[in-house]
Amino acid sequence: MSSETTHPTHEDVLLDVRDIYTYFRTESGVVKALDGVSFDIRNNEAVGIVGESGCGKSVTAKSILRILPKNGEVVAGEVYYRGVNLLNLTEPQMRTVRGKEIALLFQDPLSSLNPVLSIREQMVDVISLHRGVDEEEAAEIAVKMMKAVGIPEAEQRIDDYPHQYSGGMRQRILIARALALEPRLLIADEPTTALDVTIQAQVLDIIQRMRKELGLSLMLITHNLGVVAENTDRIHVFYGGRVVESGPTRDIFKDPHHPYTIALLESIPSFVKGKGRLATIPGSVPQLINPPSGCRFHPRCKYMTEECKKRPPLEKIGKDRYVACFHVDKVLADRKKSS
Amino acid sequence: MASVELSSSEQTEVEIFPGSPKDRTDAILEVRNLRKYFPIESKSILFSKVVGQIKAVDGIDLQIFKGEILGLVGESGCGKSTLSKTIIGLEKPTTGQVLYRDKDIHHPKSKTESMEVKRNIQMVFQDPYNSLNPRRLVRDTLKEPLIIHKLAPGREEEVVIDMLKKVGLEDYHALRYPHEFSGGQRQRIGLARALIMKPEIIIADEPVSALDVSVQASILNLMQDLQQEFNVSIIFIAHDLSVVKHVSNRVAVMYLGRIVEIGPTDMVFDRPAHPYTVSLLSAIPFPDPDIKKKRIILEGDVPSPVNLPEGCRFAPRCYKAQELCHKEEPMLQEIRPNLWAACHYPEDEKVIFFDVVEEEA
Ligand SMILES: Nc1ncnc2c1ncn2[C@@H]1O[C@H](COP(=O)(O)OP(=O)(O)OP(=O)(O)O)[C@@H](O)[C@H]1O
Ligand SMILES: Nc1ncnc2c1ncn2[C@@H]1O[C@H](COP(=O)(O)OP(=O)(O)OP(=O)(O)O)[C@@H](O)[C@H]1O
Ligand code: SF4
Ligand SMILES: [Mg+2]
Ligand SMILES: [Mg+2]
Repeated sequence: MSSETTHPTHEDVLLDVRDIYTYFRTESGVVKALDGVSFDIRNNEAVGIVGESGCGKSVTAKSILRILPKNGEVVAGEVYYRGVNLLNLTEPQMRTVRGKEIALLFQDPLSSLNPVLSIREQMVDVISLHRGVDEEEAAEIAVKMMKAVGIPEAEQRIDDYPHQYSGGMRQRILIARALALEPRLLIADEPTTALDVTIQAQVLDIIQRMRKELGLSLMLITHNLGVVAENTDRIHVFYGGRVVESGPTRDIFKDPHHPYTIALLESIPSFVKGKGRLATIPGSVPQLINPPSGCRFHPRCKYMTEECKKRPPLEKIGKDRYVACFHVDKVLADRKKSS
Repeated sequence: MASVELSSSEQTEVEIFPGSPKDRTDAILEVRNLRKYFPIESKSILFSKVVGQIKAVDGIDLQIFKGEILGLVGESGCGKSTLSKTIIGLEKPTTGQVLYRDKDIHHPKSKTESMEVKRNIQMVFQDPYNSLNPRRLVRDTLKEPLIIHKLAPGREEEVVIDMLKKVGLEDYHALRYPHEFSGGQRQRIGLARALIMKPEIIIADEPVSALDVSVQASILNLMQDLQQEFNVSIIFIAHDLSVVKHVSNRVAVMYLGRIVEIGPTDMVFDRPAHPYTVSLLSAIPFPDPDIKKKRIILEGDVPSPVNLPEGCRFAPRCYKAQELCHKEEPMLQEIRPNLWAACHYPEDEKVIFFDVVEEEA
């Protein structure tokens, strides 16, 4: 399957990830974490990345920014950002991309701040470096952004140390720092898991506002399907190191095609429905050293046939709609019957 | 704790725990006037001096009944983990008591009593990675308490394997180390370690936060099975309110070290009385793109647990606050049958958050 046919470049594409393979060397063998991941993100678009724990979401973000740990490597594929393949850039060129062009909020934000440096020290240098302003102006920008993310008395609090902030405030400091660089693309890896829903709503509100004001694009990685439903335009669903379905957010929620997507949506505890047993997906997460052949979901899929032991291509099924499954017809017929 | 005088002729005072259903008498755990303060020390070269107190838990009265699941929710930093750790005896209370079947957890009368309490109240810790010994096989971690408490002499191995299967793991997982598991599997090992003791009470601190929804669903099903099969009582802490709504029979909402609302799950979620609960519910993101919510975005930050505001702790951020709120601290009162809230101006109306934007095209 050639990547061109599955992801024709949209005129408006900002990031185009084409068929990347990322492997890790470990003592027990090679972990094939990404196995041909393809998706794109357009200008000013918010894209959600969802999928089981261990399916390759964080590794994808690290592959794009080329910050994989030493035992990991992108062994094939291309990452086009504004038409340039990031995988061909030199390390110094790459440094001009990180932060200023593409900012990443790490999955574990509380360890991303240095406990012995004040917030001022951790914001001003980065801002003056990437925005090309002097320290005084950088401090002004920092304070402005801290206020924008809802930190009161920012002028004073900028001299505090991380432990003097609550968990939610620290997470907001990182968001302020990332946004202060005015990146074109923000990759946010589980930006709100440590936050209760009121602060989560506040943080997402800020990101959406910045999206309007700065024309920023957002790649939002999260297990929280409510957050995805409310904050994204399109969704790419990952399973076992591949994209198995993608499409506009509403279509994915209302008209999922891939058996994994359907199973995923069925296991959400409903706020309106009663207390019955929750649906689960039988079987376990695929092992990535000797992954299942063909469709990686086949050992857990109720539609599985012999054919599924071959790899299903990610096929276009409608405007912006792609799905990788041999039995889409059966899946849809089943749903018609049950509804 | 509220004391109510029955009538002028009867002089006996009946203790009433806020939020305890009136028809239940089978409380197995009682938390009385519990406070846990952490001193803030200013260290100079010669002296270290206490300059303030972090009031992490600040006056909690609570009963847990046999076989119930009590959901505990509240803002990050409001004291949920501290309350849990004080209940199981990992932290010494600053004031107050925790009674398990009338035995004071922090002052056991004998070694046997202390062992009995330890075995019967188990905690699943918030951080599954740091609470497991990285250099021990899962089998040994699970076997140890069985040996200490002599729960299955000679059959430890068998019991361990059984328990692993119950939490959805396989027998070969017994011979692995914690780092060889995914986050979700580790969370299940923590759960297995608590369950293997067949406790009467389990405190589960964010047991599903790192899990994707399908793994989360299997853990929640397991919790409900346990409740039904063994009649265990569970205190269930989580930020995800749809999860709490799904599993709990009662819900307690905490704000800055106190319970501000407590009652049956359906009442708390359908017709909350406290403005903080209302804001909390309004902030839940909804996994349906066709539903738009009316959202109350809270202004300002959580006040610090060191300098508590005068009056109602929620007043600086409350959309209903009046003058009285800044002066006088409201106490928990029964607003509707079995629903208690600490607020001078509790909500009365059913609050509607959801608006279906459009029908299916
Ligand atoms: N440094 C590493 N060495 C070996 N394997 C790794 C390494 N980092 C990640 N992996 C493996 O790569 C796969 C993808 O991991 P990744 O962190 O991308 O998952 P994720 O989708 O972000 O999951 P989560 O939702 O739990 O954050 C996993 O199976 C993981 O075990
Ligand atoms: N050992 C400690 N020393 C000093 N302060 C502490 C200690 N443990 C907790 N605190 C403080 O007590 C308060 C309550 O913390 P706790 O961990 O109980 O909150 P929580 O409700 O569990 O929050 P989260 O939802 O983030 O887990 C916080 O202000 C915290 O900083
Ligand atoms: S007492 Fe007043 S400030 Fe406190 S929650 Fe009620 S209305 Fe708001
Ligand atoms: Mg991740
Ligand atoms: Mg906690």
